Amino acid sequence: MASPTSALEEQTTTRFRLGDRSSTLPALVLILIFFVLPVLALLARSVTEPVLGLGNYVELLGSSTYIKIFFNTFFVSALVTVISLLIGFPVAWALAIMPQRLATVIFAIVLLSMWTNLLARTYAWMVLLQRTGVINKALLGLGIIDKPLIMVNNLTGVTIGMTYIMLPFIIIPLYGVIRKIDPALLQAAALCGANRRQALTSVLIPLAMPGMAAGGLMVFVMSLGYFVTPSLLGGTSNMMLAELIAQFVQSLVNWGMGGAAAFVLLVVTLSLYALQLRLFGAAGEGGR
Amino acid sequence: MLLNFNSLGSWKWVLLAITFLTAAFLLLPILFIAALSFGSSQWLIFPPPAWTTKWYSQLFADPRWLDAAWTSFRIAVMVTLLSVVIGLFAAFGLVRGRFFGRTLLRALFMTPMILPVVVLAVALYAFFLRIGLNGTTTGFVIAHLIVALPFSILALTNALEGFDKSIEDAAVLCGASPLKARLLITLPSISHGLFSAAVFSFLTSWDEVVLAIFMASPTLQTLPVKIWATLRQDLTPVIAAASTLLIVVTIALMLVTALVRKGLKA
Repeated sequence: MASPTSALEEQTTTRFRLGDRSSTLPALVLILIFFVLPVLALLARSVTEPVLGLGNYVELLGSSTYIKIFFNTFFVSALVTVISLLIGFPVAWALAIMPQRLATVIFAIVLLSMWTNLLARTYAWMVLLQRTGVINKALLGLGIIDKPLIMVNNLTGVTIGMTYIMLPFIIIPLYGVIRKIDPALLQAAALCGANRRQALTSVLIPLAMPGMAAGGLMVFVMSLGYFVTPSLLGGTSNMMLAELIAQFVQSLVNWGMGGAAAFVLLVVTLSLYALQLRLFGAAGEGGR
Repeated sequence: MLLNFNSLGSWKWVLLAITFLTAAFLLLPILFIAALSFGSSQWLIFPPPAWTTKWYSQLFADPRWLDAAWTSFRIAVMVTLLSVVIGLFAAFGLVRGRFFGRTLLRALFMTPMILPVVVLAVALYAFFLRIGLNGTTTGFVIAHLIVALPFSILALTNALEGFDKSIEDAAVLCGASPLKARLLITLPSISHGLFSAAVFSFLTSWDEVVLAIFMASPTLQTLPVKIWATLRQDLTPVIAAASTLLIVVTIALMLVTALVRKGLKA
């Protein structure tokens, strides 16, 4: 890549178009027709149906029903992010320093859970958490509770199900960040008289903070747009934004409101990603 | 101190305990489903009163499940092929091309990855209703291709950026045509990228639920759509059997990936 533009390169790129802008055309056409155009068309419908104007947005942001859904979406996402960070940090930390062989096994489990079909994982939690499920049976059997806990179709169900899905997205990037921290920095802290607690709170956590912030923001944004798990494990009283969009379009066939709700989700998501890019560069980008 | 496992003292055990509990939390639901798929209880009682394979028999006896699995497979294969080929062309352009707006184009190609999939699903649903692609295989393939392509482009641009172009140039200097040099020198060198792109594309399509729910019709549905529709009625152990088969496919693909990675490195 760093080689100077030689006559040879000139020759090959002009004769064969594979290393040229034109070879990006198939992807570009596909993205423009089947991604950019439909999304813009949907947004257009939000300001033209049923009548031209911002009526849909006024209704969406002015009604307490919808405001409650927005609030709930943010609340669930924040809760899932915080719990994932609280569990993910010690796990990533342990993975970074534990014997290689053991770390490989734990890593394989993390990857297996991440790659397992989303519906299979959600189904597992529906079965585990149900009234007659194994968790209630065990708690009843141990005498910890005397009547079954209700853990599905409510906040508990969504939080457990979503945390399960999001944990790998915290553990894997945070592991990379902690691994890169120089152990000598912590030795220096010890030499300067810091005890373990001080070294943790004033050296290790601050050094791991960029990873936690990037991972946390990514999980938060992903949670905001989640559809499957909230609709299967959540209740009607704590609906999330993605479900609202689907309901507008599928059950109510109200494209104007559906488009408006989609646009709100889109704007929030893209601005949070822009914030992330600004704060941490492209490091938080997934899919590696 | 804190980054040395053996000088952590009592904290070592706390960290290990949290890690093992988390690993159990991540692993147990998967094992639980696999166990229940062989349990005889219709009501998913655990531990099962007896063991059986009747849920698998029911699954394989029902043409709707088989149809759904075949549809999923067909669509995933088409998505994989298109995603790798289109992604390869795009990656060559993005890595080797020197043109205005290249960074912007790369960002545009990555956008479907970060956009909430429900927004894309609703937008494509409206669009496909209008142009008559709803409930068609083509519609499914296009929808899944849009979300698979970014992974493919990412894997292939990474691979191409890591490839030393002077090797390809050397082949051309030695008399190979540029096309031949690319086919015989460059492509084999980035085979790990091609492989990752293919696996990611396949799994993206194979496991995708949200787009599929919107694209499906009563006569054309993928396996996740079939599971979704069944799940909304009841938690029948047949779903446990279907899920277990999906998990087996995932593990097989993970093992193949690990082996291929090892083989390519050696």
